[in-house]
Amino acid sequence: MARVVYGVWDGIVQDNRGKRLFEMAEAPDLKGLDTFNEGNPIQAFFGDRGFFVFDRRVSLIDALWRYMARAAEESCGKCTPCRMGTALIRDALEALRKGEAGEERWAEIEALGEQLRASALCGLGRNSASALMAALTHFRDVLLAERGPLPEQHGMTYTTAPCIEACPSKVNVPRYIDYIKDGEPTHSLGVILQKYPMAATCGRVCVRFCEMACRRNLVDEAVGIKTLKRFIADHQRSRSTMFTRDVIAAAQPSDLRVAVVGAGPAGVSCAYHLLLKGYPVDVLEALDEAGGMAATGIPAYRLPKDVLKSETDIIQALGGRFLYGRRLGRDFTVSDLFAEGYKAAFLAVGCAQGSRLGVEDEDPSLPGYLSGIDFLLMVHDHVAGTRPTRLSGEVVVVGGGNVAMDCVRSALRMGASAVHLVYRRTREDMPADREEIKAAEEEGVIFHYLTNPARIVARDGRLAGVVLVDMRQTEPDGRGRRGVQPVAGSERVFECSTLIAAIGQQVDRGTIGPEDGIAMDKWGCIAVDPTTLATSRGGVFAGGDCASGPSTLIHAMANGLKAARSIDDYLNFGRVRFFPRSRMRQILNENKMLAADCVEVPTMHEYRVHHPELDPEVRKQMFEEVEQTITAAEAYREANRCLRCYRVYSVITEQPIPAGCA
Amino acid sequence: MTSGGTMEATINGKPVRIDGTETILEAARRSGHHIPTLCELSDIDHAPGTCRVCLVEAKRPGQAEAMVLTACNTPIEDGMEVRTRTRKVREMQRLQVELLLADHDRDCATCIRHGDCELQDAARFVGLAQSRFHDTGRVNRRLVDRSSPAIIRDMKKCIRCFRCVTICREEQGIDALVTVGTGMETAIGLRNGLAQAASDCVTCGQCVMVCPTGALGEKDDTETVVDFLYDPEIVTVFQFAPAIRVGFGEEFGLPPGTNVEPQVIAALRALGADVVLDTNFAADVVVMEEGTELLGRLREGRRPTFTSCCPAWINFAEKHYPAILPYLSSTKSPQQTLGTIAKSYLPEKMGIDPARIRVISIMPCTAKKDEAVRPQFIHDGVPEVDVVITIREFARLLRREGIDLAKLEPSAFDNPYMSEYSGAGAIFGTTGGVMEAAVRTMHYLLNGRELEGIEATALRGFESVRTAEVALGGDIGTVRVAMCHGLKGTREVVEAVLAGTAQFDFIEVMACPGGCVDGGGHLRSKKAYVPHARKRREALYGIDRKKTARQSHNNAQVQKLYRDYLDRPCSDKAHHLLHTSYAARERVVTRTIRDIWREITMSTMVY
Repeated sequence: MARVVYGVWDGIVQDNRGKRLFEMAEAPDLKGLDTFNEGNPIQAFFGDRGFFVFDRRVSLIDALWRYMARAAEESCGKCTPCRMGTALIRDALEALRKGEAGEERWAEIEALGEQLRASALCGLGRNSASALMAALTHFRDVLLAERGPLPEQHGMTYTTAPCIEACPSKVNVPRYIDYIKDGEPTHSLGVILQKYPMAATCGRVCVRFCEMACRRNLVDEAVGIKTLKRFIADHQRSRSTMFTRDVIAAAQPSDLRVAVVGAGPAGVSCAYHLLLKGYPVDVLEALDEAGGMAATGIPAYRLPKDVLKSETDIIQALGGRFLYGRRLGRDFTVSDLFAEGYKAAFLAVGCAQGSRLGVEDEDPSLPGYLSGIDFLLMVHDHVAGTRPTRLSGEVVVVGGGNVAMDCVRSALRMGASAVHLVYRRTREDMPADREEIKAAEEEGVIFHYLTNPARIVARDGRLAGVVLVDMRQTEPDGRGRRGVQPVAGSERVFECSTLIAAIGQQVDRGTIGPEDGIAMDKWGCIAVDPTTLATSRGGVFAGGDCASGPSTLIHAMANGLKAARSIDDYLNFGRVRFFPRSRMRQILNENKMLAADCVEVPTMHEYRVHHPELDPEVRKQMFEEVEQTITAAEAYREANRCLRCYRVYSVITEQPIPAGCA
Repeated sequence: MTSGGTMEATINGKPVRIDGTETILEAARRSGHHIPTLCELSDIDHAPGTCRVCLVEAKRPGQAEAMVLTACNTPIEDGMEVRTRTRKVREMQRLQVELLLADHDRDCATCIRHGDCELQDAARFVGLAQSRFHDTGRVNRRLVDRSSPAIIRDMKKCIRCFRCVTICREEQGIDALVTVGTGMETAIGLRNGLAQAASDCVTCGQCVMVCPTGALGEKDDTETVVDFLYDPEIVTVFQFAPAIRVGFGEEFGLPPGTNVEPQVIAALRALGADVVLDTNFAADVVVMEEGTELLGRLREGRRPTFTSCCPAWINFAEKHYPAILPYLSSTKSPQQTLGTIAKSYLPEKMGIDPARIRVISIMPCTAKKDEAVRPQFIHDGVPEVDVVITIREFARLLRREGIDLAKLEPSAFDNPYMSEYSGAGAIFGTTGGVMEAAVRTMHYLLNGRELEGIEATALRGFESVRTAEVALGGDIGTVRVAMCHGLKGTREVVEAVLAGTAQFDFIEVMACPGGCVDGGGHLRSKKAYVPHARKRREALYGIDRKKTARQSHNNAQVQKLYRDYLDRPCSDKAHHLLHTSYAARERVVTRTIRDIWREITMSTMVY
């Protein structure tokens, strides 16, 4: 654990300068601040709430100069104190650091620092001088004692925001919102496309971890980040002119071919990044179209197929190939890939098999019984026109996640006379997106909470109903969570023509065999190193649902980027290198640096924009997209709600920090 | 909370009733407490909170220490104690203005806004005594865009208030302006890094009307006018637009909306103008041409027809909706019509060599400068109109020439060929005026008698898009008309027409909200947007009411023009001289993701 020589954090001053190192207590709250990378001690840490110095040799002036230099670089330039103040403080600190200015300069620095703290427009500006002002207030003697020229220090700075940290893909959300305000939505799209290719898809179906972390929640409602993303992506629709072979900066040796197995969000994202890095990439896909669960698992009324296709087509525009109809485990093995000359592989085969309910008389082959994803595949084929189907009678869907919501809303559109959702817990416990639940309710789905299936009823060789049982909530456990248990004697037969089990998915058992040499984990997923996504077999990486279990689109795309970085490192260095930004994130996360936060100043309430939607009575009969794109005027208004909660963090280290993969 | 559930705050110790919806600034203004502002402009609902000058200290109930807050965008809350003049507030406001000057061109004497500048006002208010952070090197890096014949953008004087962006985006719906750069390099630019002339800008000049400093201004052409005035070989022919006479009174200290036509004429004579003509005369000619053209098009079943008087609207159509161009009337604008006749008919009548004539326009408009240099309006190197100055330049010109308007003896037109005008020509300067003028004449052309109830009140609303049905009679019957002012509303109408969802026969467009009475070339107001439009408009209607001839076809000089020179409206000769053509100027920019990534800053680049 780190020992604080001196510092200020949240206004609490620590001063152990009079003590020897062994006399200082280790700071119990500070985690992982001893070393940055192996053999490289952290000497000081600076943030928006103060600073810690762990090594008395640290130059405070130089460290503050580094911090302010980054703040000046991050200033959006809109407000006066931040635009000029950060740069003027930086320049003054630089003069002091170089020994070109004396003590008299501090009065100016202090006035500018106070101006920033008290009057800047956004969180970045207001907090950029926190560490400086804390040092001036409590450790002025240290600053005055330092005489330039001061020796060069090592370290790095990192800028982030709660929404960025919450996003699996670490998309720079405030930046793309800023570009909307600036009037440059194409640049906004560029920011998103730095991370993944499926911007319009994500703008429609993302679960929005960013919005949960949004500090605007503390004022009124989160910024409509997903809505803005969709605006951005739809504003500039033509991906074919944006992506060509020419945008690839430098080609890799042509024999460094990479196989991506699975054309879902993880695979497409990985292929995209590898292609941009210059590798020849083939994507092997079991079906005859790209998109994975985004194509077959998300109904067209939420994600139109042409929108998805325009984004998966980017792979071909960049020179990648989709090899359709090639299923791992049926048509080829992992070893075959290396035999075919691929030098590395990314497995992103997803979780293609529905989980069973585990109830009496459950027979997956019984006509009328379907798993959620099999049903959604059927819906997909119906909409695509390849296999038209109609439902009749009443339909029961079991489950409480987004797949279950997709199933009930699709079942209505497929002609069911009534659609019931059966969920064993309460509405509040449902993992599905609130907006999806609301949309299903509006469209007339009948919800049965605290209800569970107990047995399948078959008649004349097909499903005829399901025995349902009431559930009761148990008392809260030690962590405050309530379980559920069946109410004895509440069983009754519920007649229905179709039962859809939408309670989960798993990796198809036939995909990975023992001959592949890929270790699986106890949940039947591919075992991977969480930081590199390496599997137990050299040169083989895995990500997305097949490694994590059923998860989100954004998580899968984040894995795709991570895998591409790892594969790039593997092919160039034979190992995956240290990644400094991930280390910084780890420090922020472990110490909850971004957590203790409130909105300090009174802020005008202004509620968020909502997508125009089709009338529920109309939309429940068709598969056309329900939500529409917002207008530019609405986008400007919504973008202006962003509080721009950027914060700058920096570490001073004893040694230079090794350059990781970009 | 005070008794009875009402809410109250205090400002400088004085209680102020509040309703929970206001900002501190609104409450302070309402209760007579002055707070300096720069970026804020309430008329366009603009409070971006970027200048940070409107600082106050405020304490919420129970709070020990006061917070420094910006008044323009912070809600005033129940029990809040606001202080606007504490030492801390004053010091921070002073430092804020000092920081604004750190990268500001301080060469005030050379500035187009000298003496009329909101930044100077702010500096005076905060008691600015020094400017420690100013750096000429920083200032000189800033862009000055002189590419447009109409508007100059001088980023050395920009304080990043973003009023221009808001007016262009929200009021006009053009959205040509973007924020470029970050940090110290933040500036306002044109989309896709283009120069003003090549950009989406339509040069309406509404951005100029809201700029608090000299960062936006018209291209100053007064020197050219002086050159012409003092060249003995040149015959100067002046014209001034309908809206000039009702928009210049403030310069004399007269109330807004006063008709100062006689003073303007007197000032022109004092300047040494050889011939003083009236654009209103040309407006009457335009009614004859456009009205006749419209009836012809209606008979051919071609509809709708858009008016073509407004050059910013023409720019808008050519740059943003080229598909609409076939629907535009081919009749030249009054400015170009006058220029054309002044270089053909007038010299013939007056016995002057046309080569010696220079036509000088005084316009309430920046786009008229752009119009005058359209290739369609320059023949063998000779422009129809040689130089266009805005009212602001006219005011500047008079000062330069030492002419004190207040002391001038009022004067009147004396040109027997091109200075008389009807009431119809006079109302060209306001939204709905062109329509009303055209209706008066078309009714006569169709029925052989004058329209009863001349003043078409149905056409006189102030909504940004108005529609009406007008019974013209004759073989045409009833027509559906629309009048748009402001380009945001115009865009809706154009899109509806192109989509086939709107059925109109005749559509009048004026790009500026209010029409020419609040065009982008008028005198500037501080901290206000189009404050005088309605008064000026009423003044135009007043001029109309006092005219004996209230219809363009009853203008005797117009009748003579046709009799002696053009034969009849839309004759071959009239067509050759008084009609024009349009060209699509839409700009399609395609950029690859690499181009975009090259431009992106402040986001970690992966490639």
